[in-house]
Amino acid sequence: MEAGIDIVSWYLLIGTVMTIFGIVRLLLVRDLLARLIALDVTGIGVLVSLVALAARSEPTDPVLQALVITGLVIAVAFTGLGAVLIRRLEGLQEDPPRGDHQ
Amino acid sequence: MTLAQFSLGALALVPLLGAALTMVLPHPARRALGVVTSLLIAGLTVPVMISVISGELPELVLGGFEAPLGIHLRGDGLAAVFLGVTSLVGVTITGYAAVLPKSTGTYLSSTAWVPGHPGFWPLWLGCWSGLNAVYLSGDLFNLYVSLELVGLTAVALVALGGRSSWEPALRYLFIAVLGSLMFLAGVGLLVSVTGTLDLQQTRGELEGLEDPTLPLLALTLMTVGLAMKVALLPMHRWLVPAHSAAPSAVSPILSGLVIKAAMVVMLRCWLWAVPVLQGSEWLAWMLGALGAAGVLIGSVLALRQDRLKPLVAYSTVAQIGYWFLAFPLLLPGENDAAQLASGAYGGVVAMAVGHAIAKAGLFTAAGFLKDRCGTDEMSALRGAGAHHPVLILAMGMCAVGLLGLPISLGFSGKWQLATAAVAAEHWWVILVVAAGTLLSAAYMLRGIAPLLLQAEIAEDAPAASPVSVRERVGEIAVLVLGVATICTGLLGAGLSDLLEVGSWW
Repeated sequence: MEAGIDIVSWYLLIGTVMTIFGIVRLLLVRDLLARLIALDVTGIGVLVSLVALAARSEPTDPVLQALVITGLVIAVAFTGLGAVLIRRLEGLQEDPPRGDHQ
Repeated sequence: MTLAQFSLGALALVPLLGAALTMVLPHPARRALGVVTSLLIAGLTVPVMISVISGELPELVLGGFEAPLGIHLRGDGLAAVFLGVTSLVGVTITGYAAVLPKSTGTYLSSTAWVPGHPGFWPLWLGCWSGLNAVYLSGDLFNLYVSLELVGLTAVALVALGGRSSWEPALRYLFIAVLGSLMFLAGVGLLVSVTGTLDLQQTRGELEGLEDPTLPLLALTLMTVGLAMKVALLPMHRWLVPAHSAAPSAVSPILSGLVIKAAMVVMLRCWLWAVPVLQGSEWLAWMLGALGAAGVLIGSVLALRQDRLKPLVAYSTVAQIGYWFLAFPLLLPGENDAAQLASGAYGGVVAMAVGHAIAKAGLFTAAGFLKDRCGTDEMSALRGAGAHHPVLILAMGMCAVGLLGLPISLGFSGKWQLATAAVAAEHWWVILVVAAGTLLSAAYMLRGIAPLLLQAEIAEDAPAASPVSVRERVGEIAVLVLGVATICTGLLGAGLSDLLEVGSWW
């Protein structure tokens, strides 16, 4: 690798690429679970970019780190909510008369 | 700590506490506690509003930590206006849901689907807490967190509607989360330039900045993300299924309040956080163009609906367009800039507030009819007005507000917008407003006229069964919102003065 690109820029690049891939996949795929995972990939991409931005200064920027930690908590929350909804919807297809109830 | 400062903190935390308490209570107690909490929130709104009306800017620094790390809650004109309207709509809808529990969704017990979902109460109070926090927060970080709280609880509220609502809820979740991720990326970029999250400090830092590229990129990201959550035209497809599949007590909350939260964040970003940037004109013009398209296409699509709730939902898409029409006018032009911008800004807020009240009333009425008759097909609702004269009267008053006829707030909003457009010589705005008003008159007539027709109702139809006392009380909630639609129009001048308090110029 050239010495021209430092490690922070690499992480910024990776974060941006992940975000774009996630969004493209989210918009193109039909399967619900795949869409949820694409959304998670987008989220991780955004958070990686934020971590990289935070690491530019010495010591690391605490404000951006706080943003990332909150972003992680929210990612857990929306993944859980989405997973519950997807399970119900798929249960509906497998067992139409009684819904998802077990 | 003054009373107003105390109320600032309590407005965000009391509903959250109420939400936590309702989680552990049985269903009837949840309803009682929900009503008590809603009255408490409305009571706490009063000191903040009094303080702002008298020209003060109450501010609370939580835990004594100063910005950039600490949390600032600020009350200003914009916050006070939206706190007030949220309390009005919130208390009314809470009362409606408490009196008619079946409007809160259906619940699958061990044997069958039972009307009345106990999960409504913690979710709605959590959503209310997020709404209040959005209005009051003085930094970008809290705007993000509270907007996320509003979004996630709103998705869960949609899902209370039973099987048919799960798919719209999931679709709503994808869009809402994608929108807030883009907003988060924009916030992160801004912080990496300015080193602070505080709105005022951000503005100060950005004003000293030479190169506008990065803030412009951040503003674009935040705008696109928020436009998804507001459902501006090309990103509106999620709104109609979500708002029409939601339970009757939830649709008015979503359409009246939840999208306003994203709109408030949009205004905070454009007017407070980011100063006028070189090159942001094209973004504002694009928002204006999309707004115009939203007014026209949303209205035409509303006209083509056969069911009442989707019609009302498409009318929301059209109304959202009006708020964005004003964005090109918010930018200071060559002529008397500040006055022009303040007129357009006052117009946007007046239309948004008027819409919050009127649309909440109309959606409650549509949901009421759907619950009672078992369907919201307009052909099946023929003659439903015969048994519900009060409801139809209230729907008419809400329609007046949505059309923007005098003396509603919708009228003063459109008037201010049109005045600002004439002063700036943007004649196309007048054309769009006029066309939108005519189209909305058409779709409102299409929605309400079948209810007034004389029709034979079969004796075994659910619409023919006697109206219970609880349903009569529920109709009063719609009437309250209808009367409020008309009466708030009298506050139009006061609203402009109130918005001057703590504004960005």
